[in-house]
Amino acid sequence: MLVDATLIERARNGDDAAFNEIVVASRRRVLGTIARLIGRREDVEDVGQQVFLRLYLSLDQLRTPDVFDPWLYRLTVNAAYDYLRRQRRRNEMRMADLPEQVVMSADAAAGGKREHEEAEKARTREYVQGLLASVSEADRSLLILKEVEGLSLKELEKVYHVKENALKVRLFRARQRVLKALSAQREGAMEAGSQR
Amino acid sequence: MKMKPPDSNSAKFDRELDDLFAAYLQACPDPEPSPEFMPRLWQRIEARRSASFTFGRLTRAFVTAAAAICILLGLMQAYLPSQPVLYTQTYVEALQAENSTDAPSMVEALFVEDGGPSYQ
Repeated sequence: MLVDATLIERARNGDDAAFNEIVVASRRRVLGTIARLIGRREDVEDVGQQVFLRLYLSLDQLRTPDVFDPWLYRLTVNAAYDYLRRQRRRNEMRMADLPEQVVMSADAAAGGKREHEEAEKARTREYVQGLLASVSEADRSLLILKEVEGLSLKELEKVYHVKENALKVRLFRARQRVLKALSAQREGAMEAGSQR
Repeated sequence: MKMKPPDSNSAKFDRELDDLFAAYLQACPDPEPSPEFMPRLWQRIEARRSASFTFGRLTRAFVTAAAAICILLGLMQAYLPSQPVLYTQTYVEALQAENSTDAPSMVEALFVEDGGPSYQ
């Protein structure tokens, strides 16, 4: 737990300084989760502020400080989910859709080791986000929390208020869909390679 | 029914997906918040607080006005002279009175239509 229970108690009783400390202690982790959930760096802070605003307004509904972490995750996932729903209309061209040659030439043009690393990271981000686009936004956030953030099924149960078995089924199906998208991409790339 | 043989490709893709998720975590590290993060957050909180305060005041004013109107109407009901009663019978009583007339109106109407003898 990143935040002290007494701090949460003080914030619940209207202590703004305590709330400020909570934000400072947990904002990096929240922003990181949002960045991985929404995949758009420029909007991460905006969504993050939305999370903390909701936290401020709903802190009095928190039953006990013990459930603060899943509570904060829940607020984070909901804010990211709302953002993704707003963005659904935007149909942007992704790097993952570009032919490999174009991506390679973009890498080469970047030049330098650091730039090359950054370009590689950007390519990984775009590629994984492209794969995750094959599942619904709800399943996508569930997969990211489990597979990327490393939350256990017990923790996810507290975040989603869904039974562990139901979560397992949802995770399995979502993973199968992503695997299908991955194998389709790999086979497509192999076919394109053999035609050259 | 034959069982499908285990697909070596699926295990390969499974591992590859795990590696991709690990690489994704490396590619998306926790970002450092900008210096404007906290001031902007407090601005938002203040804006929401003032909106809630205005809404609260409006609600209180509305409730007070509604309570005042209720009291006024109650006082009017209690102190003003009561209106004359228009109906003294119940619906059932009125229906009974209507049916107890001597001449059946249906029969009378038939006589009038045929041009036959009437009671008049």
